[in-house]
Amino acid sequence: MLKSKRNVAPGSFLFTLDAGPDLPEPSPGQFVSVAAPPELTLRRPFSVAGARGPGIIELLVEVRGRATRALAESPEGSHLDVFGPLGTGFGYPPRGGTAVLVAGGIGVAGLRMLAEKLAREARPALILVGARSRGRLLTDLLPSSQKQGARLEVATDDGSEGFHGPVTGLLETRLDGLDDSTRVYCCGPKAMIRETARLAAGHGLACEALLEEVMACGVGACRGCVVETREGYRAVCSDGPVFDAADLVFEGEPRG
Amino acid sequence: MADLAVTIGGLAMRTPIMLASGTVGYGPEYEGIIDFEAVGALVMKTVTLEPRSGNRPPRLRETSGGLLNAIGLENVGLETFLDEKLPEAAALDVPLVASVAAATPSEFAELTREVARHDAVQAVELNISCPNVDRPRRPLWADPIGVHETVAAARAETDKTVLLKLSPNAADVLSVAEAGERAGADALVVANTLPAMRIDVVERKPALGNITGGLSGAALLPVNLSLVWRVCETVSIPIVGSGGISTVTEALEYLMAGATAFQLGTVLFTDPGAPRTIAEDLVRRMENDGATATAHYTGLARREKAKCKETVAAD
Repeated sequence: MLKSKRNVAPGSFLFTLDAGPDLPEPSPGQFVSVAAPPELTLRRPFSVAGARGPGIIELLVEVRGRATRALAESPEGSHLDVFGPLGTGFGYPPRGGTAVLVAGGIGVAGLRMLAEKLAREARPALILVGARSRGRLLTDLLPSSQKQGARLEVATDDGSEGFHGPVTGLLETRLDGLDDSTRVYCCGPKAMIRETARLAAGHGLACEALLEEVMACGVGACRGCVVETREGYRAVCSDGPVFDAADLVFEGEPRG
Repeated sequence: MADLAVTIGGLAMRTPIMLASGTVGYGPEYEGIIDFEAVGALVMKTVTLEPRSGNRPPRLRETSGGLLNAIGLENVGLETFLDEKLPEAAALDVPLVASVAAATPSEFAELTREVARHDAVQAVELNISCPNVDRPRRPLWADPIGVHETVAAARAETDKTVLLKLSPNAADVLSVAEAGERAGADALVVANTLPAMRIDVVERKPALGNITGGLSGAALLPVNLSLVWRVCETVSIPIVGSGGISTVTEALEYLMAGATAFQLGTVLFTDPGAPRTIAEDLVRRMENDGATATAHYTGLARREKAKCKETVAAD
């Protein structure tokens, strides 16, 4: 049941759902699949962008096509068919290690639960958020309290706020001096993930990437959502959606 | 009392609802998600002699009224299938059908022999119709002689039920169906997905990594239903209808066209609760109709059969 819906950026909505007490507790990086309107075939995967007690989860819905438009137009109180949580979420940074979170656009959704967990435990975190422009930055959804150990910085493609350029450009200026207990987490467009993975590897830092793919079954049965890794094809829905970025083989790269 | 049980060859099923190969993995992936009590048999992911990594992604593309897939028979290969996947699936409360694919009749025979030896395997489905593994000018699924050799070779290896899964893409599907029957298949599954594609105009390239894929889902229903109708005129072994079923009404269409059982596939991606819903709706429908067995519906729409034949003869 859609409890509430909040417009957080043009075309983006934060949904609060009551999926019932039977919904297992999601962990950061996991996702749920939501049924699309009846004229469509595939369910749509959404990162769990918040857990607010038994069965209460938040999803970030960005209008991209027919399914997300219909979802975004769902009135509060309407019933949504939610299945999950699915997939394998993020690992946790080692004690004393800094977590660097890199989110591009709607990628904030995938990292938000992790950011909140780190903040609750007052673990040191550097959160970098990128968007096309100031109005699309989803920083309000993230913890930024200094006393909780989190530092939040932003980048915009048009320079309307913060670093002028891609969020990976901002990341590049922040990686020097971080020790090897630092762990990088990223979620966003493929090009952003690829560049984040490259930068992290260049600095000898572990990096976990949350990937998005078109999915059918959501449970590893159909093998439809695979990505190429150094161990062969892996299903985003069940082997992921979080992968060690060093294992990913990006388009045009040799398998190594 | 409405009883959903049906039997195909030696394959006894508690309902006429089968889960289509490729959509439910080896089975355990869907444990606790699909209600297997509503399922007559689960057709496991096709296994080949050697492991296959499958096609390069993207492997899925949604299209109006359906789905394109080009998985490319990704599977663990026979050895791991027998050592790991089959024992895991055997623990599920559902009869298992092993699906096999190969390049030659002797390989089909070897696979059939190896999988059918296991008690957990109730039947073998010969997958001659995957559209996503190669693009020969004369695919096996369109070649009645090749199909006859394949089925005969597999048949000789087991007394268990052998199902032959046809392709909707054969120009002369009736000859293929007849070849399968003559070679000893116990039943025909009609049918697999239909070769199809989409193009990504922004990227200026095919939407699927394999270029073409197989169309499944609602859009395929009228195509495969018409094949069931025609194939039922030609052979006398049972038909398992498959293609685009998402409701009991559509399942009944296949039964009324002449099918004895039916398979669910793509609908499981939309709603994994579909087998349970369709089983319940089917019982309700049977009670309304005073039917005690689903055989009541098989071929029910074929009353004008004689007339059809006359028309054909007059042509």
